[in-house]
Amino acid sequence: MFTISEKTKKFITKEVSRYETKRSAIIPCLFELQKDNQGWISNDCIESLSQFMDIPSKDINEVFHFYTMFNKKSVGDFHIQVCCNISCHMNGGLDLFKVLSDEFKIEKNGVSKDSLAISKVECLGSCGTAPMMQVNEKYYENLTKDKAIQVIKDLIASKKTN
Amino acid sequence: MSGKNEDLISCSVNGKTISVPKNTSAIKAFKIAEQDIAHYCYHPGLSVAGCCRLCMIEIEGNPRTQIACNTMVTEGMKINNQSKQIKEDVQWGLDFHLLNHPLDCPICDQAGECGLQDQYMKFGQYKPDMNQKKVKKAKVVSLGEKIVLDSERCILCSRCVRFTDEVSKTHELGIFNRGDKSEVGTFNGKELNNDYALNTVDICPVGALTSKDFRFKQRVWYLKKAEAICTGCSTGCSIYLDYNEEGFFRVRPKPNEDNNSYWMCDEGRDLYQHLNKEKRLVKVYPSKKVSTSNFAVSSSSSSSSSSSSSSSKKAIKYLKSELENIKDSTKIGVLVTGQYSVEDYKEFFSVLKEKNSINQIYHWFDQKNSKNDFDDLLIRGDKNPNTKGLLEVAKDMSLKVIDSSELKNTASNLEILIVLGPEYKKFFSTIDEKLEYFKQALQVFYFSSVKLDSLDSISNVTQIPLQSLVERGGTYINYKGLKQKLSILPQVIPKILSFSQIAKVLNGEKIQLEPLFLKTQPVKDNQFSFQKN
Repeated sequence: MFTISEKTKKFITKEVSRYETKRSAIIPCLFELQKDNQGWISNDCIESLSQFMDIPSKDINEVFHFYTMFNKKSVGDFHIQVCCNISCHMNGGLDLFKVLSDEFKIEKNGVSKDSLAISKVECLGSCGTAPMMQVNEKYYENLTKDKAIQVIKDLIASKKTN
Repeated sequence: MSGKNEDLISCSVNGKTISVPKNTSAIKAFKIAEQDIAHYCYHPGLSVAGCCRLCMIEIEGNPRTQIACNTMVTEGMKINNQSKQIKEDVQWGLDFHLLNHPLDCPICDQAGECGLQDQYMKFGQYKPDMNQKKVKKAKVVSLGEKIVLDSERCILCSRCVRFTDEVSKTHELGIFNRGDKSEVGTFNGKELNNDYALNTVDICPVGALTSKDFRFKQRVWYLKKAEAICTGCSTGCSIYLDYNEEGFFRVRPKPNEDNNSYWMCDEGRDLYQHLNKEKRLVKVYPSKKVSTSNFAVSSSSSSSSSSSSSSSKKAIKYLKSELENIKDSTKIGVLVTGQYSVEDYKEFFSVLKEKNSINQIYHWFDQKNSKNDFDDLLIRGDKNPNTKGLLEVAKDMSLKVIDSSELKNTASNLEILIVLGPEYKKFFSTIDEKLEYFKQALQVFYFSSVKLDSLDSISNVTQIPLQSLVERGGTYINYKGLKQKLSILPQVIPKILSFSQIAKVLNGEKIQLEPLFLKTQPVKDNQFSFQKN
């Protein structure tokens, strides 16, 4: 069983108090929980949240499955989100996605040997610096293919030295 | 035409003026005015979802069409669903519902009682313009012990989801994913096994949820429905029994605002099994003593299958002669369950009282459940449909009612113990204890419609078959004093004596045996025909 951290528990309690019904707080709580669980949400997480919030687990699951921005599978240590919306697409966002997938051998919906996961996403609000990608919480902008590969290589190396 | 009663308001539905109570939704007004209106997601026992968009109506003075289920009727409101606009709305709505719905009606168990079929016959447009590929989803998903889900057939009306949220309050079902990938399902393999789960099958307007017990047993147009009450507990829900000449096939709840609203429990749905041949007591099983008396000599001379009524008659005559030999009425015990109708008790007790001056009865009540147990919905701890009726009859006839546990002390003194046994043995947890008492009495005459195998090994018990509850009919009084009358249905097993005939034999009157056999009538109206408008 997944245990919710004290920090998240505090967050949930505060969030629930902001709304008329507890159900309204499900989305922010799920996002907080996702951070707790290495970037994705398992059935166990939902069960724990359901117990803590006292909402039927299927109600949380309905919300969880409706939105695509919650990760339903493990995303490894580094979750690369490549923007493929208009501005980035015109500046080679899709190519960037393909190059990164091939270079680091990341399969769709899978995690690579280096613990990388990759997904295409819609606009991340950084159109002026297209193409761009987000790795975990951090933005990398004005990318070229080589630059992007170097960024990822550096990240893998920094993980190894730690 | 304002209503005289302040709680009533008048409105006009398709030009017909009616008065309805305040806070009535427009869809209810249509039902009251007996006007057809297309709908799926609306169910009178559930909250309003408004997701099927079929119950479109026009309100005079209102430029846009609206849904009737979520519109409250106000004084003087004029609503109709007859205009060309509404008809087109409904036709297109129906076509969108069929967008991903497989047209597998010939192999679908719901066919014949399917909301989608019925509505399309009435309101559909009959020239499909949709030629997109249908989305494939999971089929034959087991949702627990009782229910199977076919996601492709589901039209996402959310009735089942609302049922588990609002009525059973068990929250198993939800609608997951979105768009045309939306599916009804349970979370993390949780099973839909609550005590009321099968109601979701009844309210499902399509063949998405089907009952494992009933599916593929019968086509529904070969079934006749009969009104009855469930005798599984003291709530006495109103039910429909679906049957044909092959027997009974299923039990469904009948809407009854005074008692069970629109629901019934899953336990009660096994009722039909106890009415069919397989579980019934079909002939007399004489005890050792009875079979060595002249009873056996005469019964063995006639063929065993056709003689069930004559052998019951002989067994009862034998009981009568034995009863006459006993002068002390305290040596006769009468053990009754609350499973029989008021009329049955009256007939049976009055004979025993007159002929044998019986003045007390033992009341067999399930000890495991307390009488006041209640699950806050329908199921009650008292598993007898007519405990109240039994006690009333006993009071009227000034019979003393003793709890059956008293038999512990008195059973060994009894020369004859007459038992009106349970009809559903699974509801009686203390049956083994009773068998011990039976062994102590000198002779036991056990009346029941249901075969109890454990009695065969007890040598002093004579088992005599009774008609089942729907063959006997009669009045049942439920926990709150609601009197419900059962109508008499054709007999599944012919030539079983009725209660009044048993009483007559005990009284020394002659009965005629042959007219008893009520031939099962063939199912009428089994031609399923429809016409295009």
